[in-house]
Order: sequence, then structure tokens, then C-alpha cells
Amino acid sequence: MEEKQKKQRIGVYICHCGGNISDYVDVEQLRDIVGQEENVAVSKNVMFACADSNQKEMIKDIQEKHLDGIVVASCSPKLHLHTFRGVAERAGLNPYNYVQVNVREQCSWAHSDHPDQASYKAAGLIRAGIRRVSSSEALTNIEVKATKSVVVIGAGLAGMRASIDLARMGNQVVLVEKEPVAGGQMAGKGPVFPTNQKGQELVNTLLGEIRKLPKITLFTSATVDKVTGSIGNFKVDIKVNGTPGEVMSFPAGAILVTTGYESYIPKEGEYGFTEGGRVITMKEFEKMVDSSNSSLSYKGKPVKTIAYIYCVGMRQTKGENKYCSRSCCTAAIHSSIMVHEKFKGIKAFHLYRDIRTYGKNEILYEKSSRLGDTFLMYQEKEPPSVVQGKNIVNVKIKDSLTKKRELELDADLVVLVTGMVPRNDSQDIANKLKIPIGNDKFFNEIHPKLRPVETVINWVFLGGSCQGPKNITESVQSAMAASAKINAIIRKDTLELEPIVARIDAEACTWCGKCQEVCEYDAIFQIETNGKVVASVNDPVCKGCGICAPICPADAIDIAQYTNAEIEGMIDGFSQQVDLNIEKGKSGQEGDAGGMKDFPQIWKSIMENLSEEPKTIPQIAAGIQQPSELVTWHLMTMNKYYIVESAGIDDNDEYFLYKLKNQAK
Amino acid sequence: MTKIDPHFADELKKYGAKDFDACFNCGNCSAVCSHSEKNVSFPRLTVRLGVLGLQKEILSSVEPWLCYSCGDCTETCPRQAGPGQYLAAVRRYAISEYEPTGLTKLMFKSPPTFVAVTMLVAVFLGFFLFTLKPEHELSRWIFNWLPYEVIHNMGLVIFSFTGLSMVWGVLSMSIRFNRNRKKGAKSTVGFFKAVWMVLSEAGTMDRYKDCDAEEDSHWRGKPWYTQPWFVHWSIMWGFIGLLVATCLDFILKDPASDIWYPSRILGTLAGILMIFGTSQAINYRWKKVTLIYSETSPADWTFLWFLWIAGITGFWLEVSVAFGANNIINQFVFLVHTIISMELVLLFAFSKFAHAFYRPLALFFHYRNQA
Repeated sequence: MEEKQKKQRIGVYICHCGGNISDYVDVEQLRDIVGQEENVAVSKNVMFACADSNQKEMIKDIQEKHLDGIVVASCSPKLHLHTFRGVAERAGLNPYNYVQVNVREQCSWAHSDHPDQASYKAAGLIRAGIRRVSSSEALTNIEVKATKSVVVIGAGLAGMRASIDLARMGNQVVLVEKEPVAGGQMAGKGPVFPTNQKGQELVNTLLGEIRKLPKITLFTSATVDKVTGSIGNFKVDIKVNGTPGEVMSFPAGAILVTTGYESYIPKEGEYGFTEGGRVITMKEFEKMVDSSNSSLSYKGKPVKTIAYIYCVGMRQTKGENKYCSRSCCTAAIHSSIMVHEKFKGIKAFHLYRDIRTYGKNEILYEKSSRLGDTFLMYQEKEPPSVVQGKNIVNVKIKDSLTKKRELELDADLVVLVTGMVPRNDSQDIANKLKIPIGNDKFFNEIHPKLRPVETVINWVFLGGSCQGPKNITESVQSAMAASAKINAIIRKDTLELEPIVARIDAEACTWCGKCQEVCEYDAIFQIETNGKVVASVNDPVCKGCGICAPICPADAIDIAQYTNAEIEGMIDGFSQQVDLNIEKGKSGQEGDAGGMKDFPQIWKSIMENLSEEPKTIPQIAAGIQQPSELVTWHLMTMNKYYIVESAGIDDNDEYFLYKLKNQAK
Repeated sequence: MTKIDPHFADELKKYGAKDFDACFNCGNCSAVCSHSEKNVSFPRLTVRLGVLGLQKEILSSVEPWLCYSCGDCTETCPRQAGPGQYLAAVRRYAISEYEPTGLTKLMFKSPPTFVAVTMLVAVFLGFFLFTLKPEHELSRWIFNWLPYEVIHNMGLVIFSFTGLSMVWGVLSMSIRFNRNRKKGAKSTVGFFKAVWMVLSEAGTMDRYKDCDAEEDSHWRGKPWYTQPWFVHWSIMWGFIGLLVATCLDFILKDPASDIWYPSRILGTLAGILMIFGTSQAINYRWKKVTLIYSETSPADWTFLWFLWIAGITGFWLEVSVAFGANNIINQFVFLVHTIISMELVLLFAFSKFAHAFYRPLALFFHYRNQA
């Protein structure tokens, strides 16, 4: 808005990408027609735009020919956006007066079978880029000063480990624990796999280190009351129980969430589970084994036969907890080994669905098997039935390993191998920090593989099993990753953020509050300027998502780099008539494109076929009289585009059912 | 509904099964076994039954008797669970369960009892044999307080006892096998056809020939007369030949001095066959030529040695009778030969020997209900 004047001298660089682009897209013709565009001062073909020699030439062009905007038509901005922003900056041009056009992934690669059309599309995109850059503004990065302290929520193993690491790297740490003692799930816990070290010993080791580090302040029986501020400068209010009304405020450059999990508690009657019965949870069993010495007995009766039932409350294809808790198989098998080592003559039966003692823990599975433990496999559809007798529990199972024969076992004790569920209060934490919760109700990271400890809220990090089931090793690993990541950013004096944020035109704004309502990041607030109440944007918090712009009735909001002038210019540029002289022979085989026209027809028949009820692929194939391979192919594409979705498995456990998206079953 | 018995696995191990409860049901054994048929996961499922302690099911299944112990499964088992040894142990367990006295159970489960029983029977038989010669000084003294008739009748009772035990065992097995069949299921193969198939298997050992026939098998390319199936064939037919010859001798009274007498010719040839078979079998076990031969149970050792000794002493006697050498050594050999032979017969129902009845019977049921 500050510069309304269009750019006069634009440089356009169209890349060959060594043939990746030029083999399909007619780059020479594009260079010629672009050169005739209004305000284009330079139009060049380059073999590799990213090459050092070309970067130098671009700098020379910008400086000598006084270019005021550049367009690079090459690959995806994911690859070289920062490269060419750097080129602009070194040449003295504002990096935001440069636009990247993707003619490789979007043109030559995607349409290699129709090179003529690829060239037309490339021409449109490049012209759109030119229009965009001609309306572009010079922007400056947002600078933020970070506080060199961290608030860690949850003093389990993950939280304690991360706090120690952060403190050793010179940061102030406030560690907040809800319970009266630190340690989380490991507090008071007996031996854990794979080292047999007691859970409480692990806690003690970390607590010992925390005591030696004055930079860590540990609050127990304390909860997070409120979180305000934003990236680099959070303010976390902490309420300590027993001190009514007293809330302490701590500044934090970053926040680490290590709130952990809760153990699944079976419902009354689930696998015969009752209060005080002979069916107990894994957690109770571990405690019992740890506290028994010479012999194992329960309610005054010696325990000789134990049945472990796995996947209790987990991996429910039709229930709430669809995931696997990763650690319970190993935990149960480890407990069974402990039992054999501690007490003689105990028989163990493991009623499982799949054994997932992955990685090195497979050795434990091997060991328990060698110790004579018997494994029986049940299917989710036919879970074991458990009936409590007077001093015995009768368990019935259809064992897949014995030809699905129905077998009966009289056990002295049944242990329900329960997994991890998200904490009750995780929604509360999510609301306070505005971090997203996944379908499984655990906290969500940005990307499970590439950015596994960051959340979409800048500088709010995740560690441990608040993110999903993890064993101790994995919890501690993720907590350490998060602490390294946090340290790397808060150690810098200032942080630069991209200036792609919403901007309010104070003259046009009449403060209706709609933008504040829709903003998911709470980045918009009310201010008074010149006696007028208007909206304002907290730049470091704004993600530039753009949701506020179209909602504004006064059209008072613009997103930097995506202004109306830029977007409209792009549309104009793209829709302009292109006259290319391209031989028909260069086009792909005649009829190729024609084949694509059949697609909507088969999609239509699949959708009609699915309108009544969910069906399996063979059913659909029979219904529309098409080969099932073809139906599979199209159905998978439709699934990818959210036209259809899976609706569980059929009654024979054979095929998945599919239904139209948003259609009740 | 079948109840799991947590302690059965330990019990089976006393019969010589190894670490079979380490089985993780991969089914490798079923994949390598030549006798695994399409709908039966054999021997995996049989191993599974043992792991779970489903005793009734084990005793009423023919599967353990379809195995000839080639050891292919044991050699390739990824868990070293020894399915081959397991099946042999199950057969021992079944023999001791089918017969009514519990004597087999005692002997198979405890080697000292085994030795004690064999020795006791030997002493008893020796004593019994002495009494058969009334002119002997010892006999005369005995007959003063134990009449000859009593001893004779006692012998008959003991022989009947063995025979009845065997009959009981055979009936017991048949009843269980019959009960195990699905209600209303009809046999697919006729009675006589099945009998013929059993006899034909006994004659040809065709099923045995399929065993351990893989490319990397130890027996691949070896001459037929060294193959395990032929070793088994020669022991079996050698013994049957000798039995027939002995019966003929008994019926025809004293023809034994003429080695050219037809029943004697049969005896000589059968004896050679049996000595060849047992020598080979002992030799393979001694040299541990394959994995399955390297772990021989006491029951198997005793059985083989008894047969071998009976064969060798039989020859000795034939030769010494032909040359008329009546001396103390030959008399001692005669005593040993008779004791061993009679002990084989006496312990028939209570030893490894019982498989001579059980296996054909199981095969018969198997053929009758073949899909």
C-alpha cells in the first residue's frame, strides 16, 4: 500500500534446468514473447538459473540495468526461493521484489506428454509472475527479541530431561508439575524394560541433577493458568495449589509441552474388569510384582497361572483409540519375564492380536517364549471372554493359531495389558497454548517426519508421549530434540520472521470484530488510533493465512505479498491470450487427452453406486460392471481427493468398505 | 470347548520332547514335511495341541503316527523346538496312555525304572526257564514248594496279560479315533481298501520314501539299501519272518537241527535281514549321521539292541545246533537269546515295540478318512 506505483524495469529469467524444462517447454519462444511485455527490461534464457555464474550475472543486470523487480521461471519455490531472495538482496534489491514461477514441477514435468500445452501453461504462469512482481512491495522482516528462558509443562522423564539439557545450555527453566511429586508415570514405578532399572530410580537420577542446577525452578502441585504473549516473549501464569489466589508470572522465550499420557482404564465389565476382582490392569500388576517378594499371591491365593490380554482399549478399528500404544506388548512380556525370574512355577498365557516388541525388544519376546510362555492369538472381532469365578477366572478364546478352536483357560489372575490414552486435561492445555489436537486426541506436530517436535504455534514445542504413545527411550529422545531445537533459536539475540502478515487499513476499518473472530492464532486485537477503534495485527503471531481478508466487509485487510493488486494482476496475466507457434508434431499422441475424459463418467457411476450404502470394491465393480482393477484405481484416486472414504472392514474381514465422504453410514 | 492344561508341556518333556513350547507357529515344519496335506497344518497343529495341553485331542489324532521321524522339520525349525522329537515323544506318551497298566508310563518317564523293570523281567524269565528243565537240581528243589503247574500257569497268565494289554491299547486307540470324527462324517475309503493300503505301505514303505527327499537331504543319491526306509523295512520284515519261522518251528516240533528245513531257511534269511537292519540303525545312531539320529531316546536304544542281540544270538545258536556243540557257552547264549526274545514279547505292549500295532491302525484310520 505504501508503493502504488508499478515496477518499470523487470528482469525475467527462464531456466532450461539442463533440459528438464527446455525439453518440453519452448523456452526460447517464451523468452521472446515475454521480452515484448510491458515493463520488462530483461528477458533471458539460462541453462541453470541457480548456478553461481548466473547468480552473478543477475546481480550485474539488476545493478547495471537498474531493474526494480525480478521473476525467475524455474523450479518450485521450495527449492530456490531463498537462493534468489539472496541474489536480490546482494544486488541491492528488496528480496520481496522477486517472484518465483514454477515451470518445472507445474509444467514440464507434469505435462511431459503434452509439451505444447506445457508451453502455454508456462507462458500464462510467467505472465502472472510478471504482473505480480510489478505490483510487489518492498518489505522488511519482522524482528523479535527472544527471552532466554523456557517454561516446561510436565515433570515426567521427558520434561525433566529437557529441563536439564536446557539449563546446562545456559537457559532459565521453569518446570511445572501438576502432581505433588515429580516423575510422572515413572514415579514409584518398578523395573522397566529393557534395563530392569526401576522407574523411580530413573526419576531419582534426573531429580538429583535438577537439584544441582540452580537455573531450573521446579514447581510441583502447580498448573498453568494462562498463557499470553507470543513467539519469543510468552508470559506463562502458574498457579500453585495450596496458595489460593496466588498466580506467578514467568516470561518464556519458548514453551515445551511434556504433559505425557494416562493409562487406559478399562470400562466396568470390559474383559470382566470389576473393582476388586481378579482381573487387573497392567499398572496394578506391575506394582504387585514389584512389591511381592517370596511368592506371588493375590487376595490370599497363590498365583500360578496368569493370562495377559493384550490391546485392551487399543487398536479399535471401530472404536475411539485406533492407534497402537507401542510399548505395552514389550511391557507385558517384560513383566512376565520378571515374574518368572522372581517366582518359580508360574505359567503365563499371552492372549494377543499381534506382538509388537519391535527393535531390540524382540529379544524379550524370544526370551519369554523360551521360558515356556504360551501365546494365543485372537481377532478383534472375537475378543476373549472373561468370567470371574470364586477364586479363579475363566477365560475363553478362539485361538487363530489352533485353527480358531475355542479354548478355555482357568487363570488365577487376568492382566489387562492397557495402553496409553491422551490425558484428560490435554484439551485444556491445547486451549491455553492454541496448539492443535489430532484425531487421536494427542497433540499434533507440524510434520511427523520432518518437523516432529514443533507445533504450528511458533516456539511451542512438544516432547514425550503427550504427542502420541512412546516408550521411555523415545520420550526422552523427543524431549532432547525439542530442547536442542529450543536452545538453537532462543540463543540468538533477535529472530527474523517473514513479513507475510495481514495488514489493516486503519482508515477503512470500522471495527466490526469479524476478523478477530475468525483468526485462529489470536493475532488480531483492538486498538484506538486517532480516536477511532480499529483492528490491529500482532505481527509475530500472524501466520499470514489470509482468513481475515475476505471476511472483512470494509475490505480493509490485505496480506503482504498477496495484495489485491498482486492477485488480480496474476489472474489478468494468466488469462491473457498467448500466441505461440508450436508444431503440432511436438504434441503428445493424439487421443491421450481424450482418454482422460472418461474419468468423470466412471467416478459418477461409482458415486451413484455408493449413494445407498457403503460397499467393497468387488461389490462396486459388480454394480457398475467394470473390472475391479479399474474400480480400485479410480476409487483410490477418489479417496485421495476426499470424494470417498473408508468405512471399516466388511463382515468377513476381507475387504474394506467405502462410502461417500460426509455420508452417514 | 477344550480346556488348556498349563502343565502338560512339562509332562511331555519327560517323554523326551525338547523345547517344543518355544514354537511360535511359523509353520515352517508344515512347509517342509512331505506328509503335510493341504488342509492340515501338520505337524504345526500337532505341536500346538501339545503346547496347549489338549491331551484328549492328541490321543485321538492320527497325525503323530503319520510321521517317520526323518527330522527335516527339526533341522529347519527356526526356534530349535524339535518338532520331530516332539512327535516321537507324543507317540511314547500315546503308547503309555493307551495301555491300561501304567507300566509304560513308569518306564518311559524314568530311565532307572526302565532298567529295573527290564532286569527284573530278565531275572524272572531266567528263573522261569530253569524251571522248564525238571531234571536240573535247582528245579527239583523249587518244585518241592512251587509245583511245575503253578509256574507254567503263571507264565500263561503273564503272556495273556501282555496280550490283553495290547488288545486294550488297540481298542482304546480305535475308540478315540472314532470319537474324534465329525458327527455323521462318512469314511471316504472302504474298509478293505484301507486295509489293503496299510498292507501295501508296509510292503513298499512308499510314504517313508517321501521323507527327507529334498535336494540337500543327506540321503539324496545314496544307494537304496542304505536309505532309512529300507533299514526300517528290513527290521520289520526280518522280525516278521523270524516270528513266522519260530511259530512254524514250534508247530512242527523239533525241526531246528536241519538248517535246510523250509522254516529254517526262512528263519535264516529273515535273521540276516533283521541283523542288517538293526546294525544299520544302530550304526546311524552311533555315528549321528543326521540331526534326528544324534538324539536317540533310551526306549529306542533298548529296542534296537534287544532286536540286534536276539538276532545275533539266534545265529550263534543255529550254527552251534548245526554243528552239535553242546557246551556251557552255547547254553548261556541260548539262555540270553530266549530271555531277550521273550522279553521283547512280554514288553510288547509296554515299549516302543507297540508302534507295530498302533502305526498301522492309525494309518488305517487315516486312509479311511482321507479327503
